[in-house]
Amino acid sequence: MSDTPIIDLQNLEKRFGKFTAVSNVSLSLRQGEFFSLLGPSGCGKTTVLRMIAGFQEPSSGQVLIDGQDMSDIPANKRPTNMVFQSYAIFPHLNVGDNVAYGLRGRGIARTEIDQRVSEALDMVELGGLQSRRATELSGGQRQRVALARALVMRPKVLLLDEPLSALDKNLREQMQFEMRHLQQSLGITFVMVTHDQYEAMTMSDRIGVMFNGELVQVDAPNVLYARPRNRAVANFIGGMNFLPADAKEDASGALDVTMPGFGRMRIDQNPNVTARSAQALVGIRPEQLEIAADRPADYDAVAKGTVRDVAFYGENIHYRVLLDGVETPIAASVPNYFHSIDFKPGDAVWLGVQSASVIDLGRDS
Amino acid sequence: MKRANGLLIYTTLYLAFLYLPVLLLPLFSFNDGTIVAFPIKGWTLDWYRQLGAQDTLLNALGNSLIVGITTALLATSMGLFAARAYVRNRFPGKEASEGLVMLPLVIPGIIVASSMLVLFISIGLKPSLTAVILGHSFLALPFSVSIMKSAFDDFDASLEEAAYDLGSTVLETFRRVTLPVVAPGIVSSFLVTFTVSFDEFVLAFFLSGNEPTLPVYIWSQIRFPAKLPNTLALGSVLLLASVLLLVVAEYFRRRSSSKSA
Amino acid sequence: MFKLRSDTSRGLTLAAPATLYVGLLVAAPLVILVAYSMWTQTYVSIDRTPTWANYREALTDPLVRHLMIRSILIAGAVTVATVLTAYPIAYFIAFRARKKTLWLLLITIPFWSSYLLRVFAWKLILGFNGVMNSALMVTGMIDEPLTFLLYNEFAVVLTLAHAWAPFAILPIYVSLQKIDPSLLEAATDLGNGAVARFLRVTLPLTIPGIIAASLIIFIPTVGDYVTPSLVGGSDGKMIANLIQVQFGAANNWPLGATLSLLAMLAVGFVALVFALGLTAAGRRIR
Repeated sequence: MSDTPIIDLQNLEKRFGKFTAVSNVSLSLRQGEFFSLLGPSGCGKTTVLRMIAGFQEPSSGQVLIDGQDMSDIPANKRPTNMVFQSYAIFPHLNVGDNVAYGLRGRGIARTEIDQRVSEALDMVELGGLQSRRATELSGGQRQRVALARALVMRPKVLLLDEPLSALDKNLREQMQFEMRHLQQSLGITFVMVTHDQYEAMTMSDRIGVMFNGELVQVDAPNVLYARPRNRAVANFIGGMNFLPADAKEDASGALDVTMPGFGRMRIDQNPNVTARSAQALVGIRPEQLEIAADRPADYDAVAKGTVRDVAFYGENIHYRVLLDGVETPIAASVPNYFHSIDFKPGDAVWLGVQSASVIDLGRDS
Repeated sequence: MKRANGLLIYTTLYLAFLYLPVLLLPLFSFNDGTIVAFPIKGWTLDWYRQLGAQDTLLNALGNSLIVGITTALLATSMGLFAARAYVRNRFPGKEASEGLVMLPLVIPGIIVASSMLVLFISIGLKPSLTAVILGHSFLALPFSVSIMKSAFDDFDASLEEAAYDLGSTVLETFRRVTLPVVAPGIVSSFLVTFTVSFDEFVLAFFLSGNEPTLPVYIWSQIRFPAKLPNTLALGSVLLLASVLLLVVAEYFRRRSSSKSA
Repeated sequence: MFKLRSDTSRGLTLAAPATLYVGLLVAAPLVILVAYSMWTQTYVSIDRTPTWANYREALTDPLVRHLMIRSILIAGAVTVATVLTAYPIAYFIAFRARKKTLWLLLITIPFWSSYLLRVFAWKLILGFNGVMNSALMVTGMIDEPLTFLLYNEFAVVLTLAHAWAPFAILPIYVSLQKIDPSLLEAATDLGNGAVARFLRVTLPLTIPGIIAASLIIFIPTVGDYVTPSLVGGSDGKMIANLIQVQFGAANNWPLGATLSLLAMLAVGFVALVFALGLTAAGRRIR
């Protein structure tokens, strides 16, 4: 066990002609980490994954795996294995032969191959299905075969390209837990590419958020949620109200923030607020807002407004409230648990927020 | 990179092999001599000039045109309807039917020819252009069906539904929506089936009786060395015509698939 | 319900003409061919007393057996030669070429010229005083014309390998094209180099294409008689030449019908064995 990162990306860049798909990505992953690359489609996350696997050559920069430079090592010689988005199950082979595929190329004794294949299949709960034909598998089973086929190779790093996107919602949620569990029990580093924020948050130790080829923020899911670095990240992960604000630092080091509708608020113990610019952008998560018919007490700032629409989400109720004198409506979400809260469009309401819930998003740009 | 280059060289040589015989015919059709061998003696257009004066040839050409056009009409209309059913409708026996219409592609020519001859004689149909047309339509049908199938494949079914929805009758929809959209496919199918018929020899040889088509005429000329240059000239003209037709057909096929894409 | 029924009936109506047409022209001649094969050609007319005599004659005649076996061997050689030479071309177009349609068009254009003329061109190329010999002599590469070029099995195989090229390239190209690129990446990811990947993934997945190409070449080739009569000489004659003679000069239609049917059976049998064998072989690749 050493401190060498299992994966070390150094100033990785990929250009296709004039288009820069990945620009200057540097990233170190710890051994045994479950890491997700999250971003909208076309943000370059899959290209990063494919450069780690060796299917694409970086235009500049390096990929190091376990301290070793991969520049001259072709995909078939790298200590990584991949679960493909389409699963890429060989249609001409049965389940057992699919899982044994990589081992057979290595001159391993047949008895050992058989044993490792059946262990791998047990691991993904497909024990005994060796002779099932690839064409007879359900989507979930294909995903498990793809996992077993890659894990049986005992890679140093398992790469997963949108591994759950082809499954329906219930199966997807079940597989999220299973894969997380598998990863923890095996201790193999997983690198997953996904565009689904919930998937990334439920499964990962850390998440790297990418936009337009750049790695914008790398953090644990809870940190990412609480302290998104900028508007793009905040917008991509969870819902967020964006408010332009005037900010002033007072003599005691606390911040005096003026937000439209809410007026002035003193923030002295919020670690999220760091910028001291005069024109700032702040964010408030909808679920951090209190909504009430009467002016709520014990809040650092309150605003008066009118309910514009109501949407019922099952576990939550979402309101959009027009604050007096503010054009953009503010979203507030309330757990359905509070049956007593039942506003209708047109009702006059109060919103309340605590200073700790205000996220500084830097300059308003 | 090296492997890709090796493959490219091989492919180029292979293309040369494919084009060699096809390009030799025109080359020697301008040769001022009756022996087809190097060196070329000189250049002449005589062989082409003589073609126009040969009645049997013109007669055979006329026969081939009649057969080709009728075959193209028959095969394309059957193919049009069948392809629409295969792409749009579900009905019992669909797969069997789709397989059956492709069968003419894989039956040995001699067997098709001999069995049709026997059949036509048995039902009292003497070898004639009619017999050739019936036979050629059989051979050309798989080509028409596959071309029309791809034309319908590329054509969004909701276009037809939209037309019904807007109040068109079935016939009107077919005329105003379906037909214009698949028209390039129809043209392409027509040209291809025409070419199939125009070039076909074995069936025509068995079924044409005393009304030879052009390939049957050429077959009869091949035996006479003195007629060789004429045959080469004729072959070159046919070659050019076929290639032109096919290029036009390809143009229409492309148009049919790009239009709906 | 109404929609479903109209869908079905419209489908049946539209598909009927083509289906009936092909069905009739396949079934009716077959029936009549079978009938003829059991009749006897007397001097000018046909004796319609059922008999197995034609079959007995065909099956015991050494010439028939010889031609039948040779036809199948030649057709087999043509099939193997064509598929082997065509596969790299299909591979090139599917995986390496940038303008795929242009290449496909280039491959198919020569084949829209008359088949008869193409075979004839080969006769001119390979002949004793032909293009090849004269070209070689003009350039001084040989002194005497080569005699082994024309009028033998080689000429037949060469000519037909040329004639069938697109019929081999297209089905193989289609099956290569259908391969999901991620399957190839998966093979690489699991440790295969280019050769192992080709043998373990690409090749087995293109077996349907190879079978289609082989059948579309093999079956018609057994029944070809233009090529053997133009470039085959006496060494290259095939069963179709004999059938043609029965319907032509020999005027023995019952025997011709019998030979046609036997040829069809033999071809069908060999094709079936071949297709099953290749499929089974493909299954063993793991």
